[in-house]
Amino acid sequence: MTTPDVYRAISDPTRRRILDLLAVKERPVRELMEPFDMSQPAVSQHLKVLREAGLVKERKVGRERQYRLTPGPLKEVASWIGHYDRFWRERIAALERYLDEEADKDEP
Amino acid sequence: VSTSIQYEFHLKHPPRKVWAALTTREAMEKWLMPNDFEPRLGHRFTLRREPMPALNFDGIAHCEVTQLDPPKLLAFTFRGGPLDSVITFELEPEDTGTRLRFEHSGFDVEDPRQKISFNFMGSGWKSLGENLDRVAGALEEAR
Repeated sequence: MTTPDVYRAISDPTRRRILDLLAVKERPVRELMEPFDMSQPAVSQHLKVLREAGLVKERKVGRERQYRLTPGPLKEVASWIGHYDRFWRERIAALERYLDEEADKDEP
Repeated sequence: VSTSIQYEFHLKHPPRKVWAALTTREAMEKWLMPNDFEPRLGHRFTLRREPMPALNFDGIAHCEVTQLDPPKLLAFTFRGGPLDSVITFELEPEDTGTRLRFEHSGFDVEDPRQKISFNFMGSGWKSLGENLDRVAGALEEAR
């Protein structure tokens, strides 16, 4: 079951980039600080939102906490978004086909 | 919090041809949906498609032309089901063709009924989608 938390979590561009980085591999917080030039508390706050939305999991490895992506809750989001995405891409492709056909009529 | 879906395309056809396709009822019916559009500011019209129960949408979008600047800018409201959104087309000459910017905006990410959000076509998101496929595949194998 996807909760609105997931939608709020992914509405933030920084959190989307964090998810993107975690999609490549599991990472410690410091690897997530560098690309954004953010403090550890700021990154940790984003990770907390993502964790509460069920999008990341943490585990302790030695002294560090490692974060990894748990993409399950994104599946429902992807299907809703995918619907509109597909719809408009199809319609705009149809617009281009229509224009091509009209141009062919002009040049018999 | 309101966000949008955005695309940008190059079309090889000049702006006046693209504009005609965007603002002529018969043309719109061919590439978009059955409609009663008129290129007039404030004109109210409907776009009709098949009902989509999963999106809580009966298939009829109630629209109103809010911006009209031929052959550069067309915007209309798009209300249907839980959506209260805006669709914008911007045209700019590019080489012998047209740069077309499309935006479907006004999705409310905090409205759980809409269950839709953000500009997911941003590069980060796109690559996330690609990575997600790989991650999901790896998870399957790990089971």
